[in-house]
Amino acid sequence: MSTYLLRKTDVRPLLKEASAVWDIFAPLREGVGDVNFKALPKDRLAEALENLVLDDEPTLLSPKTIFFPQNETMFAFGSGGIREQVESSPKLLFGVTSCDLSGLLFSDGFFAKDFPDRYYLSRSENRLIIVKGCLKPPRQGSCFCASAGTGPFAQRGFDLQLVDLGGEYLVEVGSGKGESFILAHSAFFASGDGRERAAEAVKRDATATLGPGVDFDKALRLMVTGDFEKNFARIGERCVYCGACLYVCPTCTCFNVVDRADGGSGSRMRTWDGCVFEGYTREASGHNPRPSKTARTARRYEHKLKYDPLVAGRSGCVGCGRCLDSCPVGIGMSKFIREVADGTEEM
Amino acid sequence: MTGDRNNNEYLPRPARITAVRRETFDVKTFSLEFVDRADAFSYKQGQFAEISVLGQGEVPISITSSPSRKGPMEFTIRAAGRVTSAMHDLGPGDALYLRGPYGNAFPFETLKGRNLYFVAGGIGLAPLRSLINMVLDSIEDFGDVKILYGAKNPEELCFRGELEEWKAIPGVEVYLTVDRASPGWTGPVGLVTALWDAAALSPENAVAILCGPPIMIKFAAAGLSGRGFGDEAIVMTLERYMKCGVGKCGHCNIGGSFVCTDGPVFDYAQVKRMPEKEGVF
Repeated sequence: MSTYLLRKTDVRPLLKEASAVWDIFAPLREGVGDVNFKALPKDRLAEALENLVLDDEPTLLSPKTIFFPQNETMFAFGSGGIREQVESSPKLLFGVTSCDLSGLLFSDGFFAKDFPDRYYLSRSENRLIIVKGCLKPPRQGSCFCASAGTGPFAQRGFDLQLVDLGGEYLVEVGSGKGESFILAHSAFFASGDGRERAAEAVKRDATATLGPGVDFDKALRLMVTGDFEKNFARIGERCVYCGACLYVCPTCTCFNVVDRADGGSGSRMRTWDGCVFEGYTREASGHNPRPSKTARTARRYEHKLKYDPLVAGRSGCVGCGRCLDSCPVGIGMSKFIREVADGTEEM
Repeated sequence: MTGDRNNNEYLPRPARITAVRRETFDVKTFSLEFVDRADAFSYKQGQFAEISVLGQGEVPISITSSPSRKGPMEFTIRAAGRVTSAMHDLGPGDALYLRGPYGNAFPFETLKGRNLYFVAGGIGLAPLRSLINMVLDSIEDFGDVKILYGAKNPEELCFRGELEEWKAIPGVEVYLTVDRASPGWTGPVGLVTALWDAAALSPENAVAILCGPPIMIKFAAAGLSGRGFGDEAIVMTLERYMKCGVGKCGHCNIGGSFVCTDGPVFDYAQVKRMPEKEGVF
């Protein structure tokens, strides 16, 4: 694997140059203080780059929103019939965490299999992902990437990965696309030869900041053989069914479909939906095969930790910790995994 | 932009209604054809399609016509929600949009030589009708065919004309029952599971194929099991709230299975492996 060096002071000029070709999405501090992956507006680039966040601050939403937005139009309809609405601009994602990369790769696999999802695949077909590994956990106490095997640095799946060496980044190349990007902007990159060992030390130190973590593999094994109905019942009573955990989750992909029409024309939209909602399984007759709080709670945890490993070969939880951080009543995956693995009562 | 429809499974194709037949006070059978013949698809017994009334939405509906017969695709639909109620206001010549077919299918080849029991409740006869007519078109390949059909009351029996035609076919027996009789009803009153004895139900070399309200399927499957039918000899088609029909929207996910793509046809052995707490029925 070839490596390069990128000075931190060159990040903004690099993104500016790259914006001639790419729509750039990066962690930006927004008006109210939240950090989120947002498109850099090309007409106000310098101003937007002022809000670029380069340290390990947590992003509120995962970058799935770029490829699977909360609301999207599937097609418009009217007197001329149906007009498909797809979007496939070239997208450069800068500063994706390793756990979020795992989430994107998981969703890629889900949307590509069987009946390929044209909307997701078209949005993501022309993308470049620059991962920036975390030096310290962005969601201290909530995230557990090392336990889940998804971070703090990525092993594969990225185009480029940045390792923070202080005043500069060591840039690891993970794909031909990543190599081409460096060649296209070669003025910003120097050889990384001789700095790889320093980068390895940074990765080791970063992993050490993560604390004791959770026994993720034990939890995954027990999810298949154990009985956690009491946990689901207790958590189900506590949950307020706001859906925040689903919306912030990098791998939650459920959606509802609705038509919006005014007279003879309108559009078919899809919007995020979630398995914990009571109406999620309610049929037109009023019959609801899964009405109970316990069953809906079980659905969420078992889907991620039991059925995803069986069906997709990997856990649907990537350990980002957003669910716990966003929950108004203190429910989250890290706590649930501790309950399963250690037999404790965390919530 | 206008994209290539062939790589976007979510885009429905324009179709039109060619005929509407009233089955009951709130059930109609619609015959549909594609506006462009190039959009036409072949389908298998037990599959479903997604029907759109643009501006109202889209619903998954089983195809009730038989792939063994030429002619229009037929869908038997109860006016239950927003889209299906809108459909009931439409008539011949009106436009709809259609995509599919989706889901697996009822077995067919493996049913040959076997005695078949079709057990249906209410509008649940619609998906079974596709297979029933397919079987009847090569009846010589099958053993006895018994159709056990129940509805809330006599007025809610669907396909009444066809039930009479089926009765007249040698080797075919039709048993009807209703939950509540109305004047003029001389048949039995009770659940479809009360027809076991009248139909001389026997598990020997037999397969039962079920569709109906969830509670009916649940008790019918358990009842057949109690009468000695093996789990693989009890086949059912499940219904579930679904949006996309192609395993993406998540609504019909039970355990690790999607009703839309892994089903809707499952045998009892598969159903028993599903997590009961998720409400299979």
